Amino acid sequence: MSEVTAPPFVLDTSVVTAVARGDPDIIGLLQGYDARGQLLVIPALAIAGASLDARSEEADDLLGGLELLDNVTIAPLRGTEQAARLAEIIARTGLDPWDAHVAAIADVAIYPILTLDAAKWRQPSAELDEPLHIIEISDPDEREPEE
Amino acid sequence: MSDRKSRLTITVDPDLSTYAERLVASGHAASVSAAFNEAMAEKAYRDRRRRGLWKAKTDQADPGRVARMMAHVDQQLAGE
Repeated sequence: MSEVTAPPFVLDTSVVTAVARGDPDIIGLLQGYDARGQLLVIPALAIAGASLDARSEEADDLLGGLELLDNVTIAPLRGTEQAARLAEIIARTGLDPWDAHVAAIADVAIYPILTLDAAKWRQPSAELDEPLHIIEISDPDEREPEE
Repeated sequence: MSDRKSRLTITVDPDLSTYAERLVASGHAASVSAAFNEAMAEKAYRDRRRRGLWKAKTDQADPGRVARMMAHVDQQLAGE
């Protein structure tokens, strides 16, 4: 196992939804990160958003499997202060509550956000005091040529 | 697996303790210990099923694509 020096990654709702939908490559990628000791933080509301998207027993099992990984931390929403901060981020960025929780955790901890859609984060990130560090999961071989 | 039970002391939430006692009183569990034993066995079964599902999905993954995606993430982390 290689030594990991990267900061913990916060998974956004798009990534967690891909897990709930059973995307083998995303699940394989997360399993790979877990195997190499990369810490992954998953906001509880991102799980709620993903569960809302994929309503099935298998989806719930796949989501439940996330917390069985050795290097995953499920980040809860705790207390009035965090709830108020979440509301503030929703109001400022227009993000839905699921991804607002992702932004709140990444913003406080200064952790990069892993997403399947970097574009959706551009505007919300610009609305915060400090821009978020967004990292897109994509296969460079599948990128469409720019015109 | 041995049939002999292990003795352990656990601390549980009051509502769960009350529920376990109610299961015993209504004849749905042989004892409070049996009720908690059954709950833990169910969790073990569920976790095994979830690990199995994750393994099955991981086995279906395209290792080349996963490696390219991880390399792309690493590049972005390095600021390239």
